[in-house]
Amino acid sequence: MTDLATINPAPTRREAGALSAGALIAPATLYVAAGLIVPLLILARYSLNRYDPRKMMVEATTLDNYVKFFSDPYYLGILATTLRVAALTTLACLLLGMPLAYMLARTQSRFKNVLVMLVVLPLFVSNAVRAAGWMTVLGNKGFLNAVLLKMGLIGTPVEIMYSEAAVLLGIVAVNLPYMVLTLQSVIEGVPRALEEAAFSLGAPPTTMFWRVLLPLVMPGVLAGAIFTFILAMNAYATPVLLGGPQFKMMGPLVFGQFQLNNWPFGAAIAFILMAATMTLTSAAHLAVHARRRR
Amino acid sequence: MTAFRPPSRRSILAGLAAAPALAMPHVARAQSKGRIVVGTWGGDYARLLTKNIEQPILIPQGWEIVQDQASDAPRRAKMFAEQRLPRGTSDLQGLSGSTMFQMNDAGLVLPVDYSKLKNAANLMPSMKYPYGVGHIYSGMVGVYHPKLMPTAPASYKEIFDPKHGSKMALIDIQYQYNLTCAALAAGGKAGDIELGKKLLVECKKAGMRIYATNEAFAQALKTEEFALGVMWRARVVQWQNAGIPVESFVPSEGALAYVSGFVIPKNAPNKDGAHAYLDAMLDKSAQEAFAVDMGYNPTVTNAVVAPDLNKRIGFTPDEVKKLVDLDYDYLNKNDAALKEWWDKEVK
Repeated sequence: MTDLATINPAPTRREAGALSAGALIAPATLYVAAGLIVPLLILARYSLNRYDPRKMMVEATTLDNYVKFFSDPYYLGILATTLRVAALTTLACLLLGMPLAYMLARTQSRFKNVLVMLVVLPLFVSNAVRAAGWMTVLGNKGFLNAVLLKMGLIGTPVEIMYSEAAVLLGIVAVNLPYMVLTLQSVIEGVPRALEEAAFSLGAPPTTMFWRVLLPLVMPGVLAGAIFTFILAMNAYATPVLLGGPQFKMMGPLVFGQFQLNNWPFGAAIAFILMAATMTLTSAAHLAVHARRRR
Repeated sequence: MTAFRPPSRRSILAGLAAAPALAMPHVARAQSKGRIVVGTWGGDYARLLTKNIEQPILIPQGWEIVQDQASDAPRRAKMFAEQRLPRGTSDLQGLSGSTMFQMNDAGLVLPVDYSKLKNAANLMPSMKYPYGVGHIYSGMVGVYHPKLMPTAPASYKEIFDPKHGSKMALIDIQYQYNLTCAALAAGGKAGDIELGKKLLVECKKAGMRIYATNEAFAQALKTEEFALGVMWRARVVQWQNAGIPVESFVPSEGALAYVSGFVIPKNAPNKDGAHAYLDAMLDKSAQEAFAVDMGYNPTVTNAVVAPDLNKRIGFTPDEVKKLVDLDYDYLNKNDAALKEWWDKEVK
């Protein structure tokens, strides 16, 4: 007689674990699928429609909206500005964030938690509120100009607001905590002994950084850079408030089209922004991995 | 101290009997005349609709009011999206003069039955659209900082003058009105947008500033970043009340009118309620309260505005006659193209 257990074997512990893990991740997966993928599919369909001021949107299957974007130097210029701001923001966050993250990771101070909280604190305030704060600092009669005028360093107020510099300043301030926290967690995973070994073999601090620390924390650098880059590419409140109407980035451009009820073109621009962001972050990811394999 | 006593069988049964009434609020509202869903901008306007129209007039009459607050673009999109439904989700939509026209042109709006509005007898003829009712209005006046402009300008032409360079400023979100003001400044009519475009490009080349929002414009005027521009008279009054040093004048070409009104979507579920709301909106007391609270002019002739307030917000009969409307038809057909032009050439 055939043993029942042979026909219907009981799930092994590993299989049972996989099943329960699947059950645990299913709600989040379904939530993401319903909340992100479905609207994206709808938006993708809209981007192929045609705009009509009397009907708002006419069903069609046309690439006109994409052609319009890529054939007009005005829109390509906005994409280029967005890419430049995102790249500069990422670089600035990396340069400013690395020393801070290193200090936070290696400090033995009993106030370490307080220091980490100080880095996290700005995230408690919304982007728009922080931008409003910058406006009071950078305005013609703002704090910075008032100080410079008082010190006699300038004769007339310097126009900082409504410029790319103001936007960069604002976005870097918003994104820096993300970079610092990402780098700090990765640096903490690198044993201090490895750095001491490099020093004991005669490596100066810069050599230790380039040859030992940086290669080991590269996954963190990549994660932080991708995080910062994506946030900067999609920035909305900061460019609008600190850049003014003349400074144009992709996020406000998408919103502007939806405000005009030109959903097809707005959807197309949203997809172009998403595609540019995904392509560049994937390329960076692949480039770093290829370098690590070598 | 009261000791806890388990509920009796009788009280449990009474509670169960009452539960469905709690779960179905419409039963409790059986005494009410019904629900009116009003699409409106949020902020002060929504608050004042409640304070001046809904609470004092409609709710005591037995109406239940629900506000659907959003800026006008998503509400218009909703009207488009719902056009095939036999029953829409709103009974009224608050829109500007040009967007009321747009919604009517798209065939989404029910003609107003003025016989149902007893207060319509007092409505200014210029605010009585077949497809909507003007609620409040103001005019686009010239504004200037008295310290920076010792000699007050008197016309759009004197404002839209490239000689001012960066002393002149406009507001980005008002591109339709800016284009029309420039057309009038260039000696044309409201529809001569091409004339306006040419003048705006000259002003831009001379250094004209553009601010993103009304608030940014006010802040910059306060800090003396620029000296003159154009703005709704009602908003100027609000700025003056906030201590911003700003003066205004009615331009000699005639002020460009801004009308805020309401339309009834064709598929409004409660058309009687919508008409009741429109009638209450035109009530003398509500119109007078809006003038005091918001600085916009009444659209009914029987509303009395205190002389000192009228001096600041109002227009003389001659100025009212000279009020200029946007070329709604032209703007409706060319809005997207005009915005694109504005973004590329002026911003």
